[in-house]
Amino acid sequence: MTMDRDEQELFTATVRATVAGAGSAAALDAALAELGWVDALEVDPRTAVAALFEAQGELTATSSALGVVVGAALGVGVEDGGGLVLPTIGHDDPPGRTEGSCVPVRGLGLPGLLDRSRATVVATGADGALHSAPVDVAALAPTLVAGLDSDLGLAVVDVECVSTAEPWAAAEGTWDEAVAAGRRALAHELLGTMRTMLRLAREHALERIQFGQPIARFQAVRHKLAEVYVAVEATEAAIDAAWQDGTPASATLAKVVAGTNARIARTHCQQVLAGIGFTTEHDLHRSIKRSLVLDGLLGDARTLTTKVGAELLEARTAPAITPL
Amino acid sequence: MDLDEFRSGLDAWLDEHHDELVATSHDPGDLAADMAHLSKVKRMTFDAGWMRWGWPERVGGLGGSTLFRAYLGEALTGRGLVEPGVYSMTEVLAPTMIDHAHPDVAAEMVPKLLRGEETWCQGFSEPDTGSNLGALACRAVRDGDVWRVTGQKVWTSLAQHSQRCVLLVRTGTTEDAHRGITALFVDMDSPGIVVRPIVTMHGREEFCEVFFDDVVVPVERMLGPEGNGWTVAMELLPFERSTALWHRGAYLHERLDTLLATAEPGALSASEVGAAWAKLFAFRARSRMTQHRMASGDKLGPETSVDKILLGTAEQTIFDLVADGLAEDVVLGDDAESVRWRSEFLYSRAATIYGGSSEIQRNIVARRLLDLGADR
Repeated sequence: MTMDRDEQELFTATVRATVAGAGSAAALDAALAELGWVDALEVDPRTAVAALFEAQGELTATSSALGVVVGAALGVGVEDGGGLVLPTIGHDDPPGRTEGSCVPVRGLGLPGLLDRSRATVVATGADGALHSAPVDVAALAPTLVAGLDSDLGLAVVDVECVSTAEPWAAAEGTWDEAVAAGRRALAHELLGTMRTMLRLAREHALERIQFGQPIARFQAVRHKLAEVYVAVEATEAAIDAAWQDGTPASATLAKVVAGTNARIARTHCQQVLAGIGFTTEHDLHRSIKRSLVLDGLLGDARTLTTKVGAELLEARTAPAITPL
Repeated sequence: MDLDEFRSGLDAWLDEHHDELVATSHDPGDLAADMAHLSKVKRMTFDAGWMRWGWPERVGGLGGSTLFRAYLGEALTGRGLVEPGVYSMTEVLAPTMIDHAHPDVAAEMVPKLLRGEETWCQGFSEPDTGSNLGALACRAVRDGDVWRVTGQKVWTSLAQHSQRCVLLVRTGTTEDAHRGITALFVDMDSPGIVVRPIVTMHGREEFCEVFFDDVVVPVERMLGPEGNGWTVAMELLPFERSTALWHRGAYLHERLDTLLATAEPGALSASEVGAAWAKLFAFRARSRMTQHRMASGDKLGPETSVDKILLGTAEQTIFDLVADGLAEDVVLGDDAESVRWRSEFLYSRAATIYGGSSEIQRNIVARRLLDLGADR
């Protein structure tokens, strides 16, 4: 089951308008529910994920949809998916650890967690078995943080012992598959932030006059923007290859490419926008901050690059990738 | 024939004929041996039909998707049976002939290239016009039914092994710039042509200077009408950055695979290997999309500059790994494997220079894809 080309285009435009029109994460969550975005996620996951996360990245909007995407791969329902606790910045293991009756949880709550009564925690034990359970939000004692990107509304969860009303149930699917789904979504969102940074820098380069001409005439500026354009295109391609392939390995590579290229976009676009881009009077700083946070979710580019390289060194072979 | 059928059929055939198809000479400095081997592989794949798929029937092909060509080159380079630089010249020059030569000339000549009976070269760059192709000066003067060509080309790959040359000449005035250029299909045994190979830093006579002194070329060897040379060039350049680069990606994959199997434990850094792998992944993902766009009939254009930039970066990153991870072999080794690694590392330095330097590609991206307007 999938959508045809026309349906995909219509759906993408509708989602984009929805993201643009929602003033908050809660409003976007509500609007997505009304739109049937979750049904689309089931019918045509690629179109649903691309449409929403690219729009979120472009417009620096947010929602709890990342939890839904990760949760869906573990058999967690939509309602509880939005309250899924993710690994914290720089980590990609399940946030909970089932050791005896006491489950320590260290992770990040997505926007809106504090407005919920129930969160969902995924935990793993010494045997590697994966479990999930609904947990009272109060039991997680989430702390809303401003952090780098205060618009995002993330909450830090760090508790030594969580008890659950319902027993821990064996999760469907694997953690690797769930993380892969999240990484593809985050790669799309990073791509959105890069597109906006490039648009802003390009507009500035064409409008800003120095030495009697737009700075877009100077090769030093043109080549920086060209590098960002290449970074955007390479990220799109890597994401495409990850969907074609569908494995955790390719999802990880897509996130690596997106995170690495997002840094190129941040660096060059900030330099082209120069002084004004360093102020809060211009919107660039929003995309820069959002992109940094997104890189840190479910494994940052630097950590994952090293991990991927270590796996290749261990295997002593380069596996087949991107078949024609 | 669909791609899966082609792939499994070709793979089985390559397995079966591996011993005949594998090169016997491993001296990277021996270009003549490489060319002889290339001819043999092209002849065998043509006669077995594989080389004919994806080319129009009017030039000896069997028709079908251009993806067949992409996969054939991927399989041959990925298995190390041919060197991608010399193999993929076909992907650059045959489409140009099909699109612009007189149909009779194309029908007569293209099969010779596909079957490896002939080698062709591409006479574009000149001593004073490298990146600035529109300023080329090699002159052709009309004399009845012939053009008389006088001038010089440089960086002409494989000219000393070539029977023909796709040559850009100035037929208008220098002030006409790109409007005064015409493309000719020239026999390299014509009187008045002198070829002087240039030895590159990786020890191969990879390309040449070519001198033309009153060389006679019949008018029916024009590619398109007089003054059409710029169009020919602009339509040819994307072919340098499409199927040929897909083949090169398969070769890089094979070399990285061999490096991982060869390097001593601890010789390579995990973060650098991961970064190279991600670059190769992104390049191949991009090139894959280009192959599919080409197969669906899209006309390729400036967007292929992105492919070239990604290829250049990926190739140099991978061979930087080689230089670091196999440093002793690259610096001191005189055995066949070391000599090959050294040669390939050195050649990789050209990946951001040949076929339009990375700076020229970025100029194209800025002007044509980002629409930043003129730069001067």
